[in-house]
Amino acid sequence: MSHDRELRKGSAEVLILALLEERDRHGYEIAKLIDRRSDGALKFHVASLYPTLYRLERRGLIQGKWVERAGTRRRRFYRITAEGQKMLDSQRRSWNALFTALNRVARIRHA
Amino acid sequence: MTTRVPDFNRLVRARLAPLRVDPAREADIVAELAQHVAEHHAELVASGVPDDTAVAMALAPLDDPERVAADIARADRPRVTAPEPPPPASSIAGDFVRDLRYAARLLMQAPGFAAVAIVTLALGIGANAAIFSVLNSVLLAPLPYADPARLVMIGERQVDGSAGNTDYTTFLDWRNRSRSFEEMALIRSWQPTLMVNGEPERVAAMRVSWNYFHLLGVAPRLGRDFRADEDNPDRSRVLIISDRLWRRRFGADPSTIGRVVMMNDLEYTIVGVMPARFEPLISEHFYKPADMWALVGYNTSLSYACRGCQHLKAIGRVKTPLETARADVDAVQTQLRREFSSAYPQATITLVPLAEELTGHIRPALLVLMGAVACVLIIACANVANLLLARMARREHDLALRTALGASRARLVRQLLAENALLAALGGTGGVLLAAIAVPLLTRLAPASMARLAGAHVDGRVVAFSFLVSLATALVFGLMPALRASRLELRDALHGEGRRTAHPPTSLARRLLVAADVALAVVLLIGAGLMIRSVERLMGVDPGFDPDHVLTMQISMVGQAYRKDETVVAKTDEMVERLRALPGVTAVAAAGQIPLGGNGDRWGFHVQGRVVTPEDPSVERYSVTPEYFSVMRIPLRSGRLFTDADRAGAEAVMLVGEQTARVLWPNADPIGQHVRIGAADSGPWRTIVGIVGDVRHRELAVPPTMQMYMPQAQLTDSFLTFVMRATGDPALLAGDARRAISSVARDVPVYEVAPLADLVARSVGPRRFVMLLLECFGAVALLLTAVGLYGVISYTVSERTREIGIRAALGASQGAIMRLVLGSGIVVVATGLAVGLLVAVGATRYLQGSLYGISPTDPVTLAAVVGLLFLVTLAAQGVPIVRAMRVDPAVALRQE
Repeated sequence: MSHDRELRKGSAEVLILALLEERDRHGYEIAKLIDRRSDGALKFHVASLYPTLYRLERRGLIQGKWVERAGTRRRRFYRITAEGQKMLDSQRRSWNALFTALNRVARIRHA
Repeated sequence: MTTRVPDFNRLVRARLAPLRVDPAREADIVAELAQHVAEHHAELVASGVPDDTAVAMALAPLDDPERVAADIARADRPRVTAPEPPPPASSIAGDFVRDLRYAARLLMQAPGFAAVAIVTLALGIGANAAIFSVLNSVLLAPLPYADPARLVMIGERQVDGSAGNTDYTTFLDWRNRSRSFEEMALIRSWQPTLMVNGEPERVAAMRVSWNYFHLLGVAPRLGRDFRADEDNPDRSRVLIISDRLWRRRFGADPSTIGRVVMMNDLEYTIVGVMPARFEPLISEHFYKPADMWALVGYNTSLSYACRGCQHLKAIGRVKTPLETARADVDAVQTQLRREFSSAYPQATITLVPLAEELTGHIRPALLVLMGAVACVLIIACANVANLLLARMARREHDLALRTALGASRARLVRQLLAENALLAALGGTGGVLLAAIAVPLLTRLAPASMARLAGAHVDGRVVAFSFLVSLATALVFGLMPALRASRLELRDALHGEGRRTAHPPTSLARRLLVAADVALAVVLLIGAGLMIRSVERLMGVDPGFDPDHVLTMQISMVGQAYRKDETVVAKTDEMVERLRALPGVTAVAAAGQIPLGGNGDRWGFHVQGRVVTPEDPSVERYSVTPEYFSVMRIPLRSGRLFTDADRAGAEAVMLVGEQTARVLWPNADPIGQHVRIGAADSGPWRTIVGIVGDVRHRELAVPPTMQMYMPQAQLTDSFLTFVMRATGDPALLAGDARRAISSVARDVPVYEVAPLADLVARSVGPRRFVMLLLECFGAVALLLTAVGLYGVISYTVSERTREIGIRAALGASQGAIMRLVLGSGIVVVATGLAVGLLVAVGATRYLQGSLYGISPTDPVTLAAVVGLLFLVTLAAQGVPIVRAMRVDPAVALRQE
């Protein structure tokens, strides 16, 4: 359902930005982290993750760079930009407001 | 591990085949995805999954290549938000170039928007450039003579403000007694018959005083100018010819100088050839561009050099300010009036700048047209401003981002201005190209009476004008969006708030712009409508004769062979007989002048038994053969028409027009009265034998003046116009008619062969020209307005989809939704209509001179325009309204 999809799209962006806020990461690592930290509730695979990354990158919220470190494979690392940081902050506020409202109205709690 | 790692690059690439992005980017994407799949695969293998299964599992998400490719391609589309690389070293010029380049990229990403904006601007700027080209060549370009501002026509002030004719003796007094002139010269039109190699040709020519070319500051390119000692009755048979005639009739032969040619059976020696660039504008005013100049060759002993024998025009070059010179000649004239009281009427002398004399009558029409194209341009600007505002609303987010990234507001406004400048430049270029196409069409369409218009072309000045207009345009249409950008609320924009409200702040501005569109379109359409109705009325005017199925053809019988009136009359009769014998011809006549034929002759009219005064009227004179009235279908009101018995030697008779009868015999019957025409003290007394209907002589719009008719046999003209009534298309008779004339006299030139209906149409020419152009501009204005309204309404609908959805969900009927959308459009249209009507009432005054038989506030026109605009604007709202009514509440509410 498109509702679900929009929600997922929006939340995926926040998730990615939040992970990149900690440090630069490559795609596979992002997918693994989301999987692990959500206890498997949220899953990203190759076909769903990269479009989101590219969209974020095209919007200037993250920036990708090929990095070749000794002994490892050549990987594309993503870094959050200043705009990305601003977007993340504002999204956090919005989600907070939404959850507060949901909590009040529908008793949906968030941590 | 011994398993060979599969080539994931290849596998991924195979699955992403439908991905159509540029190859370098594709390689990047494939590499990154392959990397991901490889890591996933490695992890699966490490956790004990068999290699084959691991490969399949890792690749499984890519199993729907079409969808994956589409997702990636959509996500990877370049965004306008892509941050610019920071400028290495900021400089204003560098910034501007960067801004332009960025603007170009943006435009290329929105080809639809760019195309609409550029075409709209090109239409607006093109119309302006085209009309300006005309204005430039007709009104602004200085006359092609030395120091043309000091050239004036001198004469008695006429009713229309122009300078009237003068006579030779008075002219000499002006020249000798005034002090404000460097030089004065005389001119008059002349249509001699030139014989070259036995072939007669009527040539447009002028008689001028010897210093004419010197006064204009031009000189022959070959041979020499006239000399002072040649300008007298005995030695004046010298000719200067135009470059055009020299090439056409003399094969551009240099030995033409010194050649003797026969003109009206007299020998003239060609002494000079004018340069090709010499524009004989002054002669155009009389007849058509002159190809030949001979000397006036008068002295005061000639009878037609008398005071009051006004058939010459005086031209001068002033050396003082115009007002001083005018007072100077006027003082001389006052003195003359005191000395020769009977010779002069109480008229003041006027000096009319030559440029005004030549083009003054076109000026009002051109200014009206310039106003019309200005309206078109403003509408175009309003539309583009509207497009920009709509685009701005969508771009607020990225503009806000750029501000967040540290771009100053000034910088953002500069960026927007650069985009506008680019749009305006492209629109301006398109406009100049449009003008370059339109101007030749315009000049072809223009009536011949619009002097200098034929020379209109797109030149440096037009390009410069268009550039300035484009620049101004960019400022006008770009200002509102740029101001809006500079006030942008950063947080709102970033949060995407304020985008779904029913009336975002831009909405009001956009509606105002469309209302302005409607208002200006109303003004233009009313102008066009009034012109259409005027031309219609004018074409419906009864000229007093029936122009259909009549062919006209001019001849001149001049020279030794036609010295005697009897010869001319005999030849005329013979020609009439030959023409009448042609198949398809029912009646034929010859006349000295015909209505709307571009000629005219007014003679003094003195009634026997009344005191002769200088105020005796002058009456339009026609010498005609008997059948003239049946060819022209001019009705006889009382008395009788001419017959073949009204010949030389018989009683001198004449007919008068109704106006003449009414004015001069308000309470009596003019029939049987005796009249002397021309000189009051000589010539026969002519008996009035009948009264005929009046005709419109000069042009259709001018009411009939006093008219009189003489039998050609009793007052013989040697310049004649034949009129032939045909059973079919009169134009088909032309060839036969020419042959009939030359079978009677080989040496008689035939010219100006045209159906009478064409002459009537030509009389409406200038108005029709203005009408056509106003119609064009009105149509463009209407189209642009419709597009603008469509844009605003459909934008409003898309902005309010959610609101409409909620209303529909709450049970609003389709009718209610239609009213909701239509209502918002109607307010805009009604506002525009009201303002437009008010402005039109004020503005159409300037059109008054071009109107005929209709008031500038003609209710029919106003109602028609309001109705038309209403229908068109309704149609423009149709699509968005249907779209609004089809909004599915579920879908609308689900929108983000």
